[in-house]
Amino acid sequence: MDCREIESLLPDYLQRSSSEAATREVEAHLASCAACREEVALWNALETVPAEQPSPVLRRNFEAMLDAYRQGRERVSQPKAEVFGWHWLRVFVPAAAALALLAIGFLAGMYVNRSRSDATELASLHRELTSTRQMVALSMLQQQSASDRLQGVSWSRRVESDPQVIDALLHTLRYDTSVDVRLAALDALRRYADQGPVRSRIEDSLPNERSPLVQIALVDLMVDLRDKSAVEKLKAFERTPDLHPTVRQRVEWGIHQLNRG
Amino acid sequence: MQHRNGPMSEPIPDEQLMLRVREDDVEVLSELFERYHLPLFNFFARLTGDPPASEDLVQDTFYRILKYRRSYKPGTAFRTWMYQIARNVRSDRFQRRRDEVGIEAAPVATVLPVDTVESSQQTAQLRQALMDLPEEKRELLLLSRYQGLKYEQIAVLLQCEVGTVKVRVHRALQELKERFHRREATRRRLQENLGR
Repeated sequence: MDCREIESLLPDYLQRSSSEAATREVEAHLASCAACREEVALWNALETVPAEQPSPVLRRNFEAMLDAYRQGRERVSQPKAEVFGWHWLRVFVPAAAALALLAIGFLAGMYVNRSRSDATELASLHRELTSTRQMVALSMLQQQSASDRLQGVSWSRRVESDPQVIDALLHTLRYDTSVDVRLAALDALRRYADQGPVRSRIEDSLPNERSPLVQIALVDLMVDLRDKSAVEKLKAFERTPDLHPTVRQRVEWGIHQLNRG
Repeated sequence: MQHRNGPMSEPIPDEQLMLRVREDDVEVLSELFERYHLPLFNFFARLTGDPPASEDLVQDTFYRILKYRRSYKPGTAFRTWMYQIARNVRSDRFQRRRDEVGIEAAPVATVLPVDTVESSQQTAQLRQALMDLPEEKRELLLLSRYQGLKYEQIAVLLQCEVGTVKVRVHRALQELKERFHRREATRRRLQENLGR
């Protein structure tokens, strides 16, 4: 048998589901064909690619979902799922707020489930989830700890373009005390930078920025966006007296790039 | 838990557990979570190359299993049904990003530690080669190799003939071989350039 004929037998052989006769034929072919032998070896080697482990959050979220389901059954008489959602977010720490996401989404789905058809139900569930993500992002951006605020920034990425979230991110970029959080916010804002007003508000944060790291990130973003109108802003910023030499260099480079392009 | 049998008895089949979930005995879903959250997580992680997002996808899958529990039909293989949901979750969530994923696979590691064992290097290359494949081919290998689905089940999942699945799995394996060779060649060249 040649490779073409073996081709039809090989898949079953790989899953160890071929007949004895077919197995013998495949093995006879493998003994003499390095190319097919290598395919089998590769198939076997796939098993050596190590499995990844999820974080404990996965299990906690699952349990939160089941809890929400149980509570939901007990509270069927409650008028609106959102009330429950807000309550959670106000009372608990941000980690719990994150966990509440599915709980709320699930409750919303259940309540909706009782009264509407499937299509409306899905649309409504989608809205509930989106608004819950938005709530979690907004609430976490206001937390005391920088790592919570960082998580808030990362939650914001799960929300489709939403004015309130963009606003919160711009606020974070401008006023957050942590450099890491400001950098993350800038990164998250990048995808909205094609909206003129957002772009100019990002750029306007440059004069107030004190960290060289964020300053450089802002200059780089302006260059990436090829926004000619940013040249004037960069020139004005270049006149700042105590600018870090590296930043000054970067600003000069940025002006050059934008003028050239 | 009430659905657990004694230590010596056979595990309860997935289908039976799912039927109980279907009848609102939702605590039983925990057992299905125990059985499948890791395989599902790895399915998503290997498919997307994005472990954090994969946790969300697993979560969504179980959420939908619970939500649509009544649509589970007795006699359906649970795993096929579950992967059907998982694939829907994935395509709903990543529709727009679909094209980007897959191209994002990192290039060959720049510097290889001297004491790395050859075999673990090859495993890394293999993992990368898998990520180099177009997504639909990678998915076929994941389902048939890692998720333990029979070709017949994959055919149901992809709504095509069993024969077609077999041919496609074989093609995917052949392409994996080519991509693996390419990566190995690059690695060798790199090593030579490093004077080793």
